[in-house]
Amino acid sequence: MNDKQVQRFVARYAEATGSRIVEKSPMHLTVKLSPAADRELTNRPYYWSYVDRAGVEPETMTYLFVTDSKRYDEQQLRQAKAEAEAAAEPGSLDQAAQSALARSIGFVHGSIQGRTPREDLYFGSRKLDQLFAAARSGGSYVCLFQEPERRSLHPFESVAYTAWLGVNLRVEFACDMKREEIHSYGISLATGNIQENFHERLSGLKLTPKLPANVHAARNGLTHARAMSLIEGHLERKLRAADFSWAEGASRRLQEELDILAHYYDRLLESAEEEQRDAIAAQFETRRQEIRWQYEPRVTVSAINGGLFHLEGIE
Amino acid sequence: MTRTVKEGGSGRLHPLVDLRMDRSWFEELQARVDRNGPWDDWTLYQLAMEAEQSRRIESFDELQCLRFLNGLEPMKHQTETAVKVLHDMGGRAILADEVGLGKTIEAGLVLKEYMVRGLVRRALILVPASLVLQWVRELNTKFGITAVAQKRAHTWNYDVVVASIDTAKREPHRDLLLGTDYDMLIIDEAHKLKNKKTTNYQFITQLRKKYCLLLTATPVQNDLDELYNLITLLKPGQLGGQGEFASNFVVGKRMPKNEDQLQEALSSVMIRNRRGDGDVQFTKRIVRNVPLRLSKEEMDLYEAVTAFVKERYEESGGSLTSMLSLVTLQREVCSSRDSVFLTLVNLFKKTEEDSPVRGKIWELIEVIKRIKANTKAEKAMELVRESDGKVIIFTEYRATQEYLLQFFRGSDITAVPYRGGMGRGKKDWMMDLFRGRAQVMIATEAGGEGINLQFCSRIINFDLPWNPMRVEQRIGRVHRLGQTEDVQVYNLCTLGTIEEHIVNLLHEKIDMFESVIGELDHILERFEQEESMEQRLARVMLEAPDEEALAEGIDHLGRSLRSLAEQPAASPKVRLSGADGRKLSRAERKQALNRLLDGISQPVEVDAP
Repeated sequence: MNDKQVQRFVARYAEATGSRIVEKSPMHLTVKLSPAADRELTNRPYYWSYVDRAGVEPETMTYLFVTDSKRYDEQQLRQAKAEAEAAAEPGSLDQAAQSALARSIGFVHGSIQGRTPREDLYFGSRKLDQLFAAARSGGSYVCLFQEPERRSLHPFESVAYTAWLGVNLRVEFACDMKREEIHSYGISLATGNIQENFHERLSGLKLTPKLPANVHAARNGLTHARAMSLIEGHLERKLRAADFSWAEGASRRLQEELDILAHYYDRLLESAEEEQRDAIAAQFETRRQEIRWQYEPRVTVSAINGGLFHLEGIE
Repeated sequence: MTRTVKEGGSGRLHPLVDLRMDRSWFEELQARVDRNGPWDDWTLYQLAMEAEQSRRIESFDELQCLRFLNGLEPMKHQTETAVKVLHDMGGRAILADEVGLGKTIEAGLVLKEYMVRGLVRRALILVPASLVLQWVRELNTKFGITAVAQKRAHTWNYDVVVASIDTAKREPHRDLLLGTDYDMLIIDEAHKLKNKKTTNYQFITQLRKKYCLLLTATPVQNDLDELYNLITLLKPGQLGGQGEFASNFVVGKRMPKNEDQLQEALSSVMIRNRRGDGDVQFTKRIVRNVPLRLSKEEMDLYEAVTAFVKERYEESGGSLTSMLSLVTLQREVCSSRDSVFLTLVNLFKKTEEDSPVRGKIWELIEVIKRIKANTKAEKAMELVRESDGKVIIFTEYRATQEYLLQFFRGSDITAVPYRGGMGRGKKDWMMDLFRGRAQVMIATEAGGEGINLQFCSRIINFDLPWNPMRVEQRIGRVHRLGQTEDVQVYNLCTLGTIEEHIVNLLHEKIDMFESVIGELDHILERFEQEESMEQRLARVMLEAPDEEALAEGIDHLGRSLRSLAEQPAASPKVRLSGADGRKLSRAERKQALNRLLDGISQPVEVDAP
């Protein structure tokens, strides 16, 4: 994700959570968080439990999100210089007062305002990770309807809709290293028809949480559980055809490592005193488990998010 | 979270690979369908998917962590090391770079990479107490890894914890750690684990870990067993069983044999980068000797002490060992009266009550009393005042340190102390103060791993250690990678004293201050085969009947050091394996071990950033 994508991400997050964008430039966004976003992003559970219990009006935080810190800092510096120059002539008295103040109470920050913490957002930064997590926690399960493409003129004409179970799956191929794939599937609950790249299809549609008027749903022929296991079966067949040379390599390394271990511990056990033998054998077992843990090839499938999508037409 | 591993054959994707389906998401979906909601937001749904797509790990091989790091630009050898650990070593390795090449960065890269890939969540980092906070800071700021310093029992529950081994191995911590599976274990200054009989070693053996990095600049110091023990922590059996290792690779317990094979075996578990020859581009060192004339009172004391020391030496019939502490007296006069005083008081206590020496000590103390000012301290103050930046002042003596702190405080210059005996918290605090508010740090210790003071570029050697390596350590704290300024070194040098000779020896004769670590220790090792540098110097000093003889003696030392430096190191062809049955000197052994290390190391080019 480059800085432009990060900025777009933040702006859309702000909008979706009802936060207010106070200020915006290509390098930054100042955002007054909505209560929902504040709960996710500010790490102040105590404050929120106080608000909830006391029933007071929450005071949400405002963040300065900097998406291009280099250019932002340069600009701030230029601005500060310009201001200093402007202030230098008539404001010398002011300055003297400032420095006197500084002497008596220590360093004085420019002016005292409400705190707007700055967060530099870049791919990999902790705040952005938190935003990612927030998006995930607020966007895991949906139930949506396609908005009809054209208003039907006939009030009694009804459009047929099909319910789909859509799910985005992350597939992790792991040994001592790891690779991931994301698969997006939709399955028609009416017919059992499975579509790949379902998320792409959805992205091109207008979706709403409200059931549109003049719509009737096709009868579901599948339960959700059945649909889910059909998707899993489909994915599994696909994965079987994948390249497993990585797993063969990992297994070979695993075996080599196990052999080396065995060679070492067998010798140690042979020469060990009777009373030490159990301890050594236990250690051997621990080491063996560690190596398996490290190298054993495995594939894990888990859902990123998904939900029920009611789309026009019967498929 | 429920993990369903499907029964029987259907759970296998491939004869070698299990498929695990995590159905927790679906169960929650089902629950929401039954309750008819609540349902999440469509935009957030799309954002969540976008986030996942952007951080998807596309390939097994390509280093991912770099795109997650902002502002850190690792050097080429650091990235290469990380890649090698990840791909060729399966995440278990000894990182044995020479000092200053950035082992911490390499370890950070490896850790970050595994974290980004979701292969490491829980990591335990064990380091000397003095380095705990530094590690925490580096991981947080350079790598964006939320690491915490272990403070209380509950801190262990954090994902990435930095602690000292000494704390970790004690109850109640011990049980907690031994009951945890760590995705990654990192141990800094791992050479401290060379002895497998120690409790530290045994504790580490019992920890359960997946990946493991051992960091040390000196993986082998005295004999090959040390190396074997380290590797056993990492990968037991990598060099064969204990007996096989000894018979295959070791001669006479200590010396390597079958070096090529050994090097090959080592390079599968160890990476060592060393500075290439001549391509090191540090900033410059600008060394200035500041000659000082002692006040009349100070000089009186110096002469009185010198006479006293010589007298004792002659009385003892030339025994050197007992004299070293007396020579210290002379050196202390060149530092501060406080330090001489303290040593004399201790000496007084140790002397028999009826000994005539007691009276003589008393006389010396009378001479001390007449001294009112410290010429050197005044000069140091002047140097500090002249510069507007940070200055670090090194002294050998605690009493001098205390005196200087007082002295600077009296003149409104903020100075902080630093010494070996301080706890880790205090040391770190002092470093922070020095980085922030204090202009001056007064340090008695330069060793201590990992003190990095690149933000300071001025050093005052208030007095000089006699061991050139210690001088180098002092300068090395400041003159290292990351230093952007030329480094100014001031040697305060009192004329007409032993100090003048030492400065002369270190500076003029062996160019001590210009050379960079690395070669120097090799040279010194050869030089110190029978006697340490300190002892040799002391002997020359005590035995010289007059100034001229002293100068001549020191000159001689300088010349022999020089010639060692100019003569090329023993060629690798020369077998030192002691096949002729002769007992090997410590230096020869070390040389052979160094050669072994050099054999598996990669020279790298390092530019000063």
